[in-house]
Amino acid sequence: MLNRSFFINILRFIAVVLAQVFIFNKLNFGGIANPMIYPLFIILLPFETNNNLNLIVAFMLGLSVDLFTGSMGLHTSAAVFTAFIRPLAYRVISSNRVYESGIKPGINDLGIRWFISYTFFLVFAHHFFFFYIESFSFNEFWHTLLKIIISTLLSSLFIIILDFIFKPHKK
Amino acid sequence: MRNLISFIIKYSFLFVFLFLEIIAFSLLVSNNSYQRSAYISASNKLTSNIQNTVSETTDYIGLKDVNEKLATENAFLRSQLLESNLWKADSLLQHIDTQKTQFYSYIHSQIISNSFQSRDNYLILDKGISDGVEVEMGVISSDGIVGIVNSVSENFCSVISILHSKSAIDAKITSNKYTGTCFWPGSDYRLGELKNIPSHTKLTKGDTVVTSGNSSIFPPEIPIGFINDFKLKPGRSFYNIEIQYNTDYNRISHVYIIHNLLKGELKKIKEVRDAK
Repeated sequence: MLNRSFFINILRFIAVVLAQVFIFNKLNFGGIANPMIYPLFIILLPFETNNNLNLIVAFMLGLSVDLFTGSMGLHTSAAVFTAFIRPLAYRVISSNRVYESGIKPGINDLGIRWFISYTFFLVFAHHFFFFYIESFSFNEFWHTLLKIIISTLLSSLFIIILDFIFKPHKK
Repeated sequence: MRNLISFIIKYSFLFVFLFLEIIAFSLLVSNNSYQRSAYISASNKLTSNIQNTVSETTDYIGLKDVNEKLATENAFLRSQLLESNLWKADSLLQHIDTQKTQFYSYIHSQIISNSFQSRDNYLILDKGISDGVEVEMGVISSDGIVGIVNSVSENFCSVISILHSKSAIDAKITSNKYTGTCFWPGSDYRLGELKNIPSHTKLTKGDTVVTSGNSSIFPPEIPIGFINDFKLKPGRSFYNIEIQYNTDYNRISHVYIIHNLLKGELKKIKEVRDAK
């Protein structure tokens, strides 16, 4: 059972990086927002995984996206930050079922409402970190904040749609 | 000692996090324009191959548009050929080629990766040292200015787009010949900023802005954009001018790298000037 989820996660890793680099990086909405869907991978990591392992996997994820976009370190630092904030996310947006064994983060097990707030929380954390590191100053504070909000809405929407499309069927 | 180890183990999550962030930030900080050349030659071997395949496919899809553009450009260039001019008998002598020295030559190149959404944007082109590309060459598209080469590897080069926080291009307003400097404020990839135009000049919306040719990187009269809006704050002696770029940086795929043939000579005369 562990093996199966291991392979699914590796496949998801590759799919998410390729989709991000070749599809979602080419999308732009007036040059202000660009959707980033690769946090989906961090969002969907199983609850039982060791937290330190999560950080390392997130590091590798960010690094792969960075290699393609040529922005060394930028996506990496944001992805590691997202993995760091993740335990906080499911503690804040609590659901009694999170700590049951065999429960995976997703619409199936925990319901659409929980998933939306959880996704939104993590994507916002990721984008907030990403865009302020990118501009490296608070000079353009309001403009950056606008970018963060629009991108967060778009990315969350795409991530939720993707999860809907690829969620495993209920038995 | 045992306490220290148990402390580290207890908070290992925090320590792993800090450790990885330190690596990420050192990557980020060391990735200034100079180190990019190392990045291109090493890690880009793999990714640029994949990017190449993808850009070939997308290029194929966009062929129709590109063809049309090239055809109009061809037609324009053809109209400048000697053969398409009517010569008056007496002026013919003044136009023999020995009287001209070619100043700029152009290398055609294709964009492999292009960004326009970040604060600092770069392009990667498929020409490198083996094609004669050098650092500090200008890059233009058929619609106007694109950027300046900042590092070169064997087969690729990286270009600082004019959509970059550090880009500063010498510009000129065609209607009144005043020169200023063109920056990118970073809010919108279609809008730039023109500074150092004194307040006593007369401006009109829609005036075209072109390169001044002062820098020896770009030939004069390469289009940059046109004036979209201008303001004069009370008490200031320079205008705040917003320009709209002529090139759609989202859609460019083919560019020309400019080789200044007399750059060495220009450099030499500047050295002589500075020595005195």
